[in-house]
Amino acid sequence: MDLATLIEAVVKVHVVLGFVLVAVPLIVWMERKVLGHMQDRIGPQRVGPFGLLQTIADGIKLFMKEDILPSQSDKVVYFLAPAISIVTALAAMTVIPFGDTVWLFGREIALRITDVNIAILFLLGATSMGVYGIVLGGWASNSKYPLLGGLRSSAQMISYELAQGISLIGVIMITGSLSLNEIGRAQEKLWFVVPQFFAFVIYVVCSVAETNRAPFDLAEAETELVAGFHTEFSSMKFALYFLAEYANMMVVSGVAITCFLGGWHGPLLPGPLWFFIKLTFFLFFYIWLRATFPRLRYDQLMAFGWKVLLPASLLNLAATAVFLTVKG
Amino acid sequence: MFESLLFAVFAGIAIGCALGVVFHRNPVHCALLLVGVLLSVAGIFILLHAQFVAALQVIVYAGAIMVLFLFVVMLLNIKGETPLLTPGAAKGFGFLFALIVFVELIWTAVQPAAEGQRMAEALPLPADFGSPAALGRVLYTVWLYPFEITSILLLVAVVGAVVLAKRKFF
Repeated sequence: MDLATLIEAVVKVHVVLGFVLVAVPLIVWMERKVLGHMQDRIGPQRVGPFGLLQTIADGIKLFMKEDILPSQSDKVVYFLAPAISIVTALAAMTVIPFGDTVWLFGREIALRITDVNIAILFLLGATSMGVYGIVLGGWASNSKYPLLGGLRSSAQMISYELAQGISLIGVIMITGSLSLNEIGRAQEKLWFVVPQFFAFVIYVVCSVAETNRAPFDLAEAETELVAGFHTEFSSMKFALYFLAEYANMMVVSGVAITCFLGGWHGPLLPGPLWFFIKLTFFLFFYIWLRATFPRLRYDQLMAFGWKVLLPASLLNLAATAVFLTVKG
Repeated sequence: MFESLLFAVFAGIAIGCALGVVFHRNPVHCALLLVGVLLSVAGIFILLHAQFVAALQVIVYAGAIMVLFLFVVMLLNIKGETPLLTPGAAKGFGFLFALIVFVELIWTAVQPAAEGQRMAEALPLPADFGSPAALGRVLYTVWLYPFEITSILLLVAVVGAVVLAKRKFF
């Protein structure tokens, strides 16, 4: 590994990390604004033009808040849990391609941090480690509601991970590769949402459950569990959970775009811009879902995951296998 | 050089965490340290060019099985340890099993390698070694029968779990 490669890697890591950290306040702003309008309110508008600086102000407020450590909590795990959440979310970000290659300073630069040949497995691994952040956060607080929230989310995330993973296998079978880069490249002519429509629907539903977003936000159901797993967290620890949730939204949207919606491909505009447009659309879709659906009951959630999504994803897998074999 | 340094780091973390699993009093901490062991073993797998096995190690063991462990430990909410055996008996069994494993390890280490193994060591790795495709090919050709038997075993376990879960307790 020569110096130029090293510099390229460091720059790319910083660009992506910077993008995430800048994008999260904007997404939060968008969420509040869109939710507001959908609920016939106007949302934030006092801080900055159109209330754009509202989330920055909230961020500064969170920095200034007292960092409360519950006296009966498990100190080490209490500190570790938010860190696990954010680290796994950011680690998953490294394999998502946001464009093909560009020529810069006489070097061909691939628009992704790294292209491992088992990218999809890496992603699934990172999300399955992300469960720990929530479960441990709930447990370490040593308090009733967070524990219940943590347990709920661990069961929920393990259940939906299965259907999510299986829904991606159809795409893997078509391309014959686990690399997100090659999956993205294979969709130059036809987006995989066409042949794999059911898998796409299953993936999107599961990804909402994986990120603990409404209507699957059982882990933090405020009507019954105060704030769920992060009830006891304050200041920047709470902010890290918040950051991890939005970073995870970007990760699952990025995977959905790369695997089903043609990745960075699109007419006229350059690749990264198309990726950005699709990402914005997906995040808007998430907010739209939140404004539309009421929260599921817990047993409904589990029954839906195991009795509807999992068999459906297996059926889709079998159908894809038969189709590919017949086609030859 | 760099690889052996990484190996030392991963092996060190694995051993440290493993010792922690044994000596720590809090069951949740033990489970977490076990996750640490599994993750560092996954790191060692990657050093051996077995990326696919490493990914499975993280997804299946560290990600799914250990979460279930943790789930059960949290639900039971064990404070400190609940001894299954008397301390004396536990120590006796512990020493016995540790001795068996130790003797096995020594025996494997001093055993001269068989002719076939030596040949395998001398060959360079194929280009796609450890990739999902290569592993799948071997699994469905050379090791087909053991693979299918394992799947039957898993099926039996699934049926057993369903039967146990459906049983009425009254």
